Amino acid sequence: MSTATTSKNPPESAPADPTGSGVSFLRVLKSEWIKVTTVPSTVILLAVTVLVMVGLAAGAAWGTVQLANEAADRATQSAPSAGATAEAAPTAVPGAAVPTAVPTEGAGVPTDGAAGDSADDSPGGPPAASSLVREVPSSGVLFGQLLIASLAVVLVASEWGTGMIRSTFSAVPKRTPALLAKNLIIAVVSFIVGAGAAFISFLVARPILGSADLSLSLGDDGVLASILNTGTFLALLAVFSMGIGTLLRNTAGGVVTAIGVIFVLPLVATILQNLGDWISDAARFLPSNAGAQLVMAGTTAEGDLTQLQGGLVLGAWAAVLLITSIVVTKKRDV
Amino acid sequence: MIEAVGLSKRYGDKTAVDDVSFTVQPGKVTGFLGPNGAGKSTTMRMIVGLDRPTSGRVLVNGKPYARHKAPLREVGALLDAKAVHTKRSAYNHLRAMAATHGISANRVNEVIDLTGLTSVAKKRVGGFSLGMGQRLGIASALLGDPSTVILDEPVNGLDPEGVLWVRHMARELAAEGRTVFLSSHLMSEMAQTADHLIVIGRGRIIADAPIAEIIAGQKKVRVLVRTDSPRDLLEALAGPGVTGVEKETGLLEITGAQPRRIAEAALDRQILVYELTPLQVSLEDAYMELTRDDVEYRSQDRPQELAAAGTASGKGK
Repeated sequence: MSTATTSKNPPESAPADPTGSGVSFLRVLKSEWIKVTTVPSTVILLAVTVLVMVGLAAGAAWGTVQLANEAADRATQSAPSAGATAEAAPTAVPGAAVPTAVPTEGAGVPTDGAAGDSADDSPGGPPAASSLVREVPSSGVLFGQLLIASLAVVLVASEWGTGMIRSTFSAVPKRTPALLAKNLIIAVVSFIVGAGAAFISFLVARPILGSADLSLSLGDDGVLASILNTGTFLALLAVFSMGIGTLLRNTAGGVVTAIGVIFVLPLVATILQNLGDWISDAARFLPSNAGAQLVMAGTTAEGDLTQLQGGLVLGAWAAVLLITSIVVTKKRDV
Repeated sequence: MIEAVGLSKRYGDKTAVDDVSFTVQPGKVTGFLGPNGAGKSTTMRMIVGLDRPTSGRVLVNGKPYARHKAPLREVGALLDAKAVHTKRSAYNHLRAMAATHGISANRVNEVIDLTGLTSVAKKRVGGFSLGMGQRLGIASALLGDPSTVILDEPVNGLDPEGVLWVRHMARELAAEGRTVFLSSHLMSEMAQTADHLIVIGRGRIIADAPIAEIIAGQKKVRVLVRTDSPRDLLEALAGPGVTGVEKETGLLEITGAQPRRIAEAALDRQILVYELTPLQVSLEDAYMELTRDDVEYRSQDRPQELAAAGTASGKGK
């Protein structure tokens, strides 16, 4: 790269450029980073994502507190018989703990583990460190995935919408480095936003949960993994969505498609699940369902993918979309 | 230096560029002239690798564009004023482009000054007028200080001062030894800027010649002559470079002969002439005629040979 990058007959009056030389992946990465940070709406959207995720987690923490208080009240009012708390808690869980969640497995919120787990907790005392509590920090991921998926589509598709892609691919005519750089940046940014928001959520949720004597610490089983994997989930989902945006080259179409695959398909699978076992079997492999397993902090329910399996399945989705989008983009005219 | 060999581009049934071969030399301004939809932009997009040729190839400075390690330092292209994210500022757009090649912030400021964008550089490109957008496109093209500059309709939307500036800049870049390839659908624009002209119509090259030659060809006189014996008159005038078309009964349009010569020839042969009107032929007219009829393209390679059809009596130059 150090030689032969200037023209064969350098014009005499041409000002010498001391930095010289040509395209490298690091430079493309820097260029893409400048692009991400210089469109105000991107930065605003990322900030909003963190805010909403933390807000949602705070709500979930508060809901959990309500639930615990109700259970405690019932326990003191009725005769302190050994199963009362355990029976009361599971029935109230889905609605109260995750107030804004669509009560389905497919919505990407870890609701399913909660029911099973809190029942296992020792009767009488507060259900401390149940998976419900441990998953509070990551509960913002429901909304986070919506925003991050949209952002990933917009980041790439808007380049086609505005014509910017012609400048991008004129500067990087091999195209692959530009797309890889875009994906790497959205993945890292999404990871930081996801894990960061989950960690802030953890800090915000702790005092709220503490008011009902519910303890939550990073050392609790699965809590740290759940916080980090909130980032992993969003990063993989972002790459998946960016692939859709790159293939469709259209902001509106890309967002609708990404949201459709992430949110609507799991709902459709839930609605149709009585038509055959294979539907719910297959639905486990949908990107958002598989990804939801990543943020689980409890034991995996019978038949569900494990945390690792969920991550691998979502990773495979992301990889397929990334590779397809690069191969197709290299071939197509701009 | 740009070399296209057998370059074709088809979109489905439609052939946008049809087996085009040409060379654009360094050190001069080469105009790329053709009506809208003639294939100018498609050809230029193929040069910088945005569109893939259906067949043929095009090299820039000896290599396909994408093979260069520092493409922006080889070729700077203004392809489309709207190749910029509307929400980003001009300065940040150029900074992002520059970053891919490690081009310094100094150079970014330099091209901003050079293109007169200093006062609006920090504003969002979405609010730019067509003319400012063109200037930003030109700034992007010059960013890598390239040895080859491609400008697609650069004066589009520019005010008169801007038009002069582009002309001056194109001439200056060529004078520095660079290859300058400039498209336009306006013949008049080309006449004032280009040294060499490549004319394209419906995807084919119609003419590829120094502009002086083309203008010289166009300076042939055309004369309208009304006479009762047009055939006799044409016979009398027969000679190299003289052509004639009978536009209606008794009305001849003669190209390549001065009015005085026509009058003398008529006098010699005792032919009655009752109208003799010299016609001003503009480049614009010739160009319009040149690009109007597809059939013309195949048999002609010089615009000045247009009038050959009909009762010609001395085809050729």
